[in-house]
Amino acid sequence: MAHLLLDSSIRLWVVLPIVFITFFVGVLRHYITQLIHNDKKVDLQQVSDSQVLLRSRILRENGKYLPKQSFAMRKHYFNNPETGFFKKVKRKVIPKNPMTDPSTLMDMMKGNLTNVLPMILIGGWINWAFSGFVTTKVPFPLTLRFKPMLQRGIELISLDASWVSSASWYFLNVFGLRSMYTLILGQDNAADQSRIMQDQMTGAAMAMPPDPNKAFKSEWESLEIVEHKWALENVEEELMQLQYKTTLF
Amino acid sequence: MSSISELYDVCWEEMRDKLRKWREENYRNSEQIVDVGEELINEHASKLGDDVWIIYEQVMIAALDCSRDDLAWSCLQELKRQFPDSHRVKRLAGMRLEALERYEDANKLYDSILQDDPTNTAARKRKISILQAQGKSSEAIRELNEYLEQFVGDQEAWHELSELYINEHDYAKAAFCLEELMMTNPHNHLYCEQYAEVKYTQGGLENLELARKYFAQALKLNNRNMRALFGLYMSASHIAASPKVSAKVKKDNVKYAAWATSQISRAYQVRGCLPTSVGLHTIQVTFWPRLMSSNNCSN
Repeated sequence: MAHLLLDSSIRLWVVLPIVFITFFVGVLRHYITQLIHNDKKVDLQQVSDSQVLLRSRILRENGKYLPKQSFAMRKHYFNNPETGFFKKVKRKVIPKNPMTDPSTLMDMMKGNLTNVLPMILIGGWINWAFSGFVTTKVPFPLTLRFKPMLQRGIELISLDASWVSSASWYFLNVFGLRSMYTLILGQDNAADQSRIMQDQMTGAAMAMPPDPNKAFKSEWESLEIVEHKWALENVEEELMQLQYKTTLF
Repeated sequence: MSSISELYDVCWEEMRDKLRKWREENYRNSEQIVDVGEELINEHASKLGDDVWIIYEQVMIAALDCSRDDLAWSCLQELKRQFPDSHRVKRLAGMRLEALERYEDANKLYDSILQDDPTNTAARKRKISILQAQGKSSEAIRELNEYLEQFVGDQEAWHELSELYINEHDYAKAAFCLEELMMTNPHNHLYCEQYAEVKYTQGGLENLELARKYFAQALKLNNRNMRALFGLYMSASHIAASPKVSAKVKKDNVKYAAWATSQISRAYQVRGCLPTSVGLHTIQVTFWPRLMSSNNCSN
């Protein structure tokens, strides 16, 4: 395909400004998010429950280091049909309808406001201001299907799909500058859009899932099937074998 | 009185890094921290930037340890000025009241923190420390149990509870606490060794066997643990000397004890002194001051 020679003023007045705009808007977003962010009130019950679940999981994983009696005692504490913790404790669950619950609604709105809105606004502005010309070439070949997506405003049938417009350069920047944000703003910054999208996709995050009963039930099942295989069965023999290979002192 | 930087010829950055190392590794060398920190704060506060606040906190706690109330008070004032509504600063104020033995006032302060934020673990733990300081160990144990019911994952608290139980000679419950710690930190040889010591102190053939196993585990995790080596020797020889065991068990334990003895001798040889059997006995007796009790031998 023909090699196009682009005006160098494109580089000066389009490519670099878009980079700077994206970067500074990201930094601005980060600080604004910190300003209007309010601390999540943690519920004592939730904290306690999540720690109990953690303990049960650790029991499953590391129970083999405990003596058989102790393991049985703890398993019994959790799983006993009448008095076991997972059987006895039922938490009253108020299904938190995201539409009506005011706090989550506020959070959602704030999230939308700080992240999606700037992206739309600036994307649209760039599309309007820097339209009609090709900005850059991506280094790998693309198929024709990408043309309408990446070459907004340029209606040339014969143009190679690798030549992209400024809007796609903008989107490239939004995702590419993520590591720059980490460098400058430290980990866990609010300008990191792709992480936010990931969070939305994975759904239930670190905080207790809204239904602790379900969590208890699944933990109960996993604990039921665990057997205790004591790791210290032949530890003295293993120790002495070990010492024959390497000197102790 | 010459300053630290003149005495040791260090610049302020090195002093700041030293303080950071002590902070991260939880050292309790309070006098050193007070010396270094005081100079850092008085001379170089402006150069520290935002680090200065955490240094204030660290120096204040060290000052309370060294009864330097003047220094503690000035640090607290700075922190209060910068963070007026902070629970963390309130806890430091409470700690200062504790150091002055004004326990009622400290309790009131902690209660106000807890009213505001019921999940604040630091305030709860300070209240338990007040009970310990006042010598009310059974109440402290009860409060700590309640705390642990809600926050099962707090390892520091489990360790503290195990120590309280050991002081009360309730070894079964202390063993339970140490089991929790072993479960969450399976590769920590010190917990294995402490657990084994408690089991050894409880006495009885089963517990001695468990003790021997856990001493061996501690050695497996860290082959330089001399205490565990001695523990292995003693538990194995006690089992072998007991009249109720079968011949095979006796033989095995004699083998373990002999192996342990050889390792101990080799260790002393490497250090440059040869133990005689008398020396070994003396070492045994002096080395186990806390948990050795003569009741064990009768099992």
